[in-house]
Amino acid sequence: MPQKGELILDVRDLHAKVAGKQILNGLTLQVRAGEVHAIMGPNGSGKSTLAGVLAGRGEYEVVSGSVTYLGQDLLALPAEERARAGVFLAFQYPVEIPGVNNVYLLKAALNALRKHRGQPEVDAFEFLGLVREKMKLMQMDESFLNRGVNEGFSGGEKKRNEVLQMTVLEPVLALLDETDSGLDIDALKVVSTGVNSLRGEGRAIVMVTHYQRLLDYIVPDQVHVLAGGRILKSGGKDLALELERRGYDWVRQEAAAA
Amino acid sequence: MSARADAPLVERIARAHADLRPRLRGGPAWQARRDAALSRLLQRGLPDRRDENWKYLDWPEVLAREFAPVTAATAEAPTPAGLELPGACRIVTVDGRYSPALSDRSLPAGVSVEELGAALDREPELAARLRVPGEDADDRFALLAEAFTDAGALVRIAANADVQAPIHLLHIATGAAASHARLVVEAGTNSRARILEQFLGGGDGALSNLAVEVTVGAGAQLVHMRLHEQPAGAAHVETLSVTQAADSRYRQQSFILGGRVLRSGLRLELAGRGAECEVEGLFMVEGIRQADIYTVIDHLAPHTRTVETFRGVASDRGRGSFNGRIVVHEGAVKADSQQSSRNLILTPLAEINARPQLEILTDDVKCSHGTTIGSLDPQQLFYLLSRGIDPAVARGLLTFAFCEDVVARIPWPEARRHVEELVVGRLPDRDIIREFV
Repeated sequence: MPQKGELILDVRDLHAKVAGKQILNGLTLQVRAGEVHAIMGPNGSGKSTLAGVLAGRGEYEVVSGSVTYLGQDLLALPAEERARAGVFLAFQYPVEIPGVNNVYLLKAALNALRKHRGQPEVDAFEFLGLVREKMKLMQMDESFLNRGVNEGFSGGEKKRNEVLQMTVLEPVLALLDETDSGLDIDALKVVSTGVNSLRGEGRAIVMVTHYQRLLDYIVPDQVHVLAGGRILKSGGKDLALELERRGYDWVRQEAAAA
Repeated sequence: MSARADAPLVERIARAHADLRPRLRGGPAWQARRDAALSRLLQRGLPDRRDENWKYLDWPEVLAREFAPVTAATAEAPTPAGLELPGACRIVTVDGRYSPALSDRSLPAGVSVEELGAALDREPELAARLRVPGEDADDRFALLAEAFTDAGALVRIAANADVQAPIHLLHIATGAAASHARLVVEAGTNSRARILEQFLGGGDGALSNLAVEVTVGAGAQLVHMRLHEQPAGAAHVETLSVTQAADSRYRQQSFILGGRVLRSGLRLELAGRGAECEVEGLFMVEGIRQADIYTVIDHLAPHTRTVETFRGVASDRGRGSFNGRIVVHEGAVKADSQQSSRNLILTPLAEINARPQLEILTDDVKCSHGTTIGSLDPQQLFYLLSRGIDPAVARGLLTFAFCEDVVARIPWPEARRHVEELVVGRLPDRDIIREFV
C-alpha cells in the first residue's frame, strides 16, 4: 500500500482516439495517495474516455503520452493486470451478465487480487461475512448476492453494486465514471457513504462527474475542468461551486486568453 | 466392406433388409407396415445434401456407417450408469429394444411400458393409430426406422394420471452396428408427466436411428427433456413427431452435447385449439463434431402458442445448424409464436448456420423471430477483465452463462448439475473453468 502523498497516478500529455476520433488532447494529471480528485466537464469533453483509457478498455487507442501507476507503465498492462494491481473502474453503465453469479464474480475478483499479492484464497466464511457487512453499508438486500451480475438491477442498484464491489476489493486507485448519474438523493447518499468509507492515506479516488451535487457528499481535494480533451483549470472544492454557478464557458475563455 | 459402402444406398438398405427379414419379430400388422415402409423407402431413397432441409448434414460421415442393424446376438448390453434422478422410474432400451430386465419393475400409478411389438400383436387398432411416416424427405429416416425395426418401446400415461416421479428413459447403444428403433409416448387426456430421455453409448462405426412419436391428449401436460451425450464417435439420426390436442401443454428441452454427427428433426403439430408448446434446446459442437437441428412447428388451430428457443455454441472445427420453421396455417387465428436462435462461434474455423423461417397463412396472429450469430459480447468481457478475471476464464464464464439460459430451466436439480458438467466439458478452456462453475 502506498504512503500518504506518494504519487499513485501520473498522466503526462496523453493523446487518445476512439474510432479514429481524437478525444484526449494532451491531458496531464497527477494524483497522490490520500487524495480525492473530481474531474468535471461538459458532455463530450473526454471524461469517460479518460476513465476507459486508465482501466484498459480495448477500443481506445493511445496516440502519445504516458500513464505511470505506482512507478510502472500502466498502458503496457492488459485490463485484468491493471485490476489486480489495484485499479478499479466503477462503470457509468454497468453491463448485465445473466448466468454469472454476482457474489461469485466478487469472490473471483478478490481472489485474483489476493493471488497477485501472493496471498492465499479468501476463506469462504470470512468472505461472506465481509460481503454482508459491505452490503449493509450499501443498503443492499441479500437477495442481490444470488442474482446474475447486474441482472435485472435498476440503474441505482447497478451503481450500488459497483460501489459494493469497490468496498470489498479496496482498490489503490478508484475511478468513478459518473457514478452519480441516474441516482436519486437517497441513493446518492448511500453511494457516497460507500465511496467515503474507502478514503484513506494509501488510496486515491478519481471521480468523473457532470454535477456538483456529488461533491457535496464526497468532498474532493482537487477539482479539474476537462474540456476538449485537456485539463483547462484545476482548483480546490470551491471551483466546483463556481462551475455550478457560472457554467464552463468562462473557463474556456480564460484558457483561450492565456 | 468397401464394396458395400460404395454401392448405392438403396441397394445397401435392400440387402440389409433381406438378411434381416427372417429374424424380424412381430405379427402380421407390424409386418405389413414394415413391408410397406421398405417399398416406399426403396422407391424414394434417403434424402441427400441437395435437399434444402438436409444440406447441412455431414453425409459422408453418415453414409460411411453400417446400416444393417444389430441382431439380438450382437446386442450384448454393457450398461452405462446413466443419471441418478431421485424417485425416478427407469426404463432402459438397448439398441432401441425395451429391456424389462434392466428397467424398474414397479412403475408409478398411471404409467405403463411395454415392448411395442407385443402391444401391436395384442392391440391391432394400435397399428392403425400409429403414425405412418409421410412422403416428404423430412420423414425418410422415420421410414427407415419403420422398415427395419421390430424394436421399440411404448410408454403410456393414463388419462387423468398425475405422475410425480420422473420417467427416465435410458437409451443405450452398444456400438458396432446400426440400430433402428421406435419410441411411442401417449399422454392421455388431462394427464401430467415428465420424461427424461438420456442417450448413452454408441461406438465409432455405429449409427442409431430413432423415430419418436408423441401424442399429447387434450388438456395433458408433458415435459420432455432429451439429453444426448453419446461418445464423440457416435452417429445418431432421429425424427420426432409430436401432436398436441386441445389445451395441451408440451415442453421439450433438448441438449445435444454428444455424437460425431447428430441430426435431430422435429415436427410438432399444434392440432387442437389452445394447445401450447415450448421447444428449447442447446447444442455444443467442439472438435470435429456436428449437430444438425431441424424443427417444423405447425399451428393448425386457433389460440395456439409456441415459444421456441435454441442456443448453439461452436468451437474448434465444430459445425452446427439450426433450421427452424414455424407455419401458422389458415384458420389458426390468434396464434402466438416466438422463435429465437442465438449462436456463439468461439474459434475461427467453427461454423454455425441458422435459418429461421416463419410462414403466416392467416391474419390476426402474433409472431416474432430473431436470430443472432456472433462472438462473445465485448462489453461483458471487458467488465470481467476489469475485475481482474483471467481472459480465458472470462470467456469460459460468458460461454457457460450463454448456455445457462437454457440449462437453468431443467426441472430436476440433479439433471441440471449433470448438464452443467457436460457443458463445461465442451468449453475450450474447460480445465480452467471447472473450478469456477
